[in-house]
Amino acid sequence: MSNHENCYHCGLPNDPQQEFFTTILGQPRQLCCPGCHAVATAIVENGLESYYQFRTEPAEKGDDALDITLAKLAIYDQPELQEEFVYDEGKHKQIQLTIEGITCAACGWLIEKQLIKQAGIKQVAVNVAERRAVVTWESATISLSKILLTIKRIGYHAMPFQPDQHEQSFINEHKRYLKKVGLAGIMTMQVMMLMTGLYFDLFGNIGHETRQYFYWIALVLTTPVVFYSGSVFYLGAFKALAAKTVNMDVPVTIAVLGTYLAGIKSVLLEEGEVYFESICMFVFLLLLSRFLEHRARQKAAQVSANLMQHIPVTANQLDEKGNLTTQLAKSLSVGDKVLVKAGETVPIDGIIERGESRIDESMLTGEFAPVAKVAGDGVYGGTINQNGVLEVRVTATLKNALVNQIIRLQTSALINKPKIAQTADRFSKIFVSIVLVLSALTFGFWSYLGSEQAFWIMIAVLIATCPCALGLATPSALTCAMANLNSHGILIKRADALEQLTKIDTIALDKTGTLTKGAFSIEKQVFAPEIHESTALGIAHALETASEHPIASAFLSNTDFTARNVKVEPGKGLMGHVDGEVFYIGSPQWFAEVTGHTLVVLPLSPNVILFNEHQWLAAFVVSDELKEGTDTVIDELRARYAMCLLSGDTQKQVDKVARALNIQNAMGEMTPESKMAYMQDAQRDGSRVLMMGDGINDAPVLAQADVSVAVGNATDVARSAADVIFLNAELQGVQRVIGIAELTARKIKQNMAWALGYNVSILPFAVSGILHPWMAMVGMSLSSIIVVANSARLLKKDLL
Amino acid sequence: MSIIYVLIPIAVIIVAIAIGVFFWAVKSNQFDDLERHGSSILFDDDIQSKKDD
Repeated sequence: MSNHENCYHCGLPNDPQQEFFTTILGQPRQLCCPGCHAVATAIVENGLESYYQFRTEPAEKGDDALDITLAKLAIYDQPELQEEFVYDEGKHKQIQLTIEGITCAACGWLIEKQLIKQAGIKQVAVNVAERRAVVTWESATISLSKILLTIKRIGYHAMPFQPDQHEQSFINEHKRYLKKVGLAGIMTMQVMMLMTGLYFDLFGNIGHETRQYFYWIALVLTTPVVFYSGSVFYLGAFKALAAKTVNMDVPVTIAVLGTYLAGIKSVLLEEGEVYFESICMFVFLLLLSRFLEHRARQKAAQVSANLMQHIPVTANQLDEKGNLTTQLAKSLSVGDKVLVKAGETVPIDGIIERGESRIDESMLTGEFAPVAKVAGDGVYGGTINQNGVLEVRVTATLKNALVNQIIRLQTSALINKPKIAQTADRFSKIFVSIVLVLSALTFGFWSYLGSEQAFWIMIAVLIATCPCALGLATPSALTCAMANLNSHGILIKRADALEQLTKIDTIALDKTGTLTKGAFSIEKQVFAPEIHESTALGIAHALETASEHPIASAFLSNTDFTARNVKVEPGKGLMGHVDGEVFYIGSPQWFAEVTGHTLVVLPLSPNVILFNEHQWLAAFVVSDELKEGTDTVIDELRARYAMCLLSGDTQKQVDKVARALNIQNAMGEMTPESKMAYMQDAQRDGSRVLMMGDGINDAPVLAQADVSVAVGNATDVARSAADVIFLNAELQGVQRVIGIAELTARKIKQNMAWALGYNVSILPFAVSGILHPWMAMVGMSLSSIIVVANSARLLKKDLL
Repeated sequence: MSIIYVLIPIAVIIVAIAIGVFFWAVKSNQFDDLERHGSSILFDDDIQSKKDD
C-alpha cells in the first residue's frame, strides 16, 4: 500500500514536481493532485479512514475545481427545479441520486457515513450495484445543494435522477422473476426430499398408505410451482399460439401441465406414475435461465439510464424592463430574451442581440476550439459561453433545439441499426416443431402397440429434448462475460453487442477526445539563455490571452504581465507591447520574416516561437496530445481490421494524427449527418463497423454503427447511443472487449454443441421408451449444470 | 413411523413461512444490492462513533 509512485487515493501516478501528503491509517501517504488531497483530507478528518482499509478498488481522481462546482450546485435548490425530482413528504424530502465514482462496497459505506453526520439528513441508502442513493432530509435544516456538495467533498459526483417508466417496469418484472425462481427452488428441494425417500425404497418397505401420503404432500408443494412459477411459460406459449407460431414455451407447457395432470390422476386413482419432483426441477431450471437473461438485460438498461442524468437547464430571462428572472429552459418560448453570463451554459438556441464572446461548442461539434460570436450570430443550447456577457433572443423552443435534433437523429439511427439475423429464433422454431411432431409420433406409435407407458414415453421425449441447456448456453455466457468486463470498467449495454463484436471487420474512430486528449498543451519547450523561464511564459500568456486561436489555451497561466496593442497577424501569430518592449509569438516562418535570421538548431522542432525583433526567446511544441498508449493499440488493431478516422476537425489536423498513427483512411470536416452517411455507405458495402467516439456529434454515427463504444468522459448523449461504455479514458479497453467477445463466442459454441449433442443423443433412448421421465430430468439438469459451469469460467478476472 | 404424519405437515408450514419471508424480502428490496452488504460487517465504526459522542 505504501507505494510512492502512485496516488494513495486514486492509484494514478504521482506528479514528481508537486508533492501532496496526508496521514492516512497512521502513515504519511503521497497523493497526486490537490483534488485527491482535498478528498483524502476530508475523509480522514471525518474519521472515515477505514474506507482505505476495506476498499477493494482505488477511488476516482479528485476534482480540482471544487469551488466552481459549488456555485453550479446552487441551482438545485430552486423549488421549480426540485418539484421535478424531489418527493415531498411534508417535513422531509426524498430524492434519488445517481452517483459517479463508486468503485466498491467501501464507497457506499463512506458516502452513507459522511452524509448521516450532517444535521438534517434523515436517511441514506446507497446501492453500490446500481451506483445510486436515496436520501431523505429535512428541508428546513439542510439544502439539497449542501447534500450534493457533501458528497462531492469526498470525491463523488451526485446528480438528481429519476428512473424512467421503462426501468420501473423492468424492476417490477425482475422482482416477479425472482419470486418465481425462489419459490420453484425452495419447493424443488422439498419435493425432491420426499421423492428421494421413495426412490430409494429398494426393498418395498414403504407401505401403500405412506406412499400415498407422500404423493399428496408432494402434490400440495408442486401446485404453487406449476401455477405460479410456471405461468411464464403458459403465457408465452399462449401468445405464440395466438400468433399462429410455436416457440420453446409450447413443448414446455405440454410437458409441465401433462405431467402435473397425469400426476393428479395417479394420486386420485392410487395407481400409475407420479413425477412431481421432475416438474419442479424442470420449471426451476428453465426459469433460472430466463431470470439470468432478464437480469443481464436489466443491468444494461440501468447503466444507460444512470447516464442520462436529470440535469435541468435554467435560464436567466430578461423581460422588457430589464428585470432578470430565473426560468427553466424548457419553459422559454420563441422571442424571449435571455442573459447568458460568462462561464454559463447557453440554455437554448437563439441569436445574439448584444455582446460578443467565444463559445465552446465542443459538446456539439466535438472540437475544442472556441468559436468567436458577435451580435447576429446564432448560438446553440448546451454550448458554453466562455468570456463575454450575451443577450440572446430565443429562436427555437428547447424541444426543437439543435441538441435535441441530434438526439432525434440518433434515435432514428438506432431504429435502423442493422439487426443480427435472429438465427437462434428461427432455429428454435424448427427445433420445437420437430420435437412436437416427434413426441406425437412416439405417443401414436406406443399407443398403437397398446403400451400403457405411451403417455410417459411422450413426456420423456418432451423433457429429454427440452432445450433447457440450450436456452442457458447464450445468456449464461453473456452474463459472465459482462460481469468480467464490468470489473475492468467496461460496461456492456446491449448483450448482443458482444456477439456482433466478433464479426466486425472495420474500426472507425473519432479523433478529438477519443484518440487525443482533446486540449492543446505545451508538449516541449526550450528557453533562450537570456530570458528567465517564468518571464517567457508570462509574456507568452499575456499575448495569447488576446487570441481566439485554440493554441492560446495551452499558454494560460497565472501571470502579472499584461500586453497592450496586441495585433493579430492571421496565419502568422501575435505581436504586442509588454512592459514597453515589442514581443512576437507565432510560427517559425514568421520569426525568419521579422528577424531575418534562421532559427538556431534546437533539440526540438517547434511550431510556436516567442521572440523579439532581434532574437528568439522561447520555442514550444504545442499540440493536441495523443492519449498514452494510443499508438500501440492502433498498431495491434490495424493488423486485424481496416481502420478509418472520422473527425469534425480540419482535414489538416486529421491528416496529422492519421500520419502519426499510420491510418490510411482519414476524413476531416465531417458533420454528424455526414459521419452517419459515411457509416451507412460502409455498411451497404458489406462492412461491419465498430465505431468509437465521445461527442454529441458522434451520437448518430455511434447509433448507426454495428457496434459502438463511448470512450471515457464521453458526453451523456454519446453514452446513451453507444453499446459499450468505457469508464476510463484509456483505449486499451478495446482489445479487452474484443478478446472477451471472442472467448464468449467460443464458449457459446461449446455450450450449444454440448446441449444439442446431449439432446440429440438422448432422443433415441427417450423415443424407444428406455428413458423414464425422471432419468430425462436428471440428464437435463446435469446438462444445464455443465453449461453454466463452462460459462462461469469467463468470470476469471485475468482471462486476457 | 407415524411421527412423520405430524412432522411433515410442520415442515410444510415452515416452508410456507420461509416463502413468505422470501417474498417479503424481495418486495422490500433486500436483494437489490448484492455487492455491498457482504462487506458491511467489516466496518465496525458504529462502536467507535458512540464513544466519540
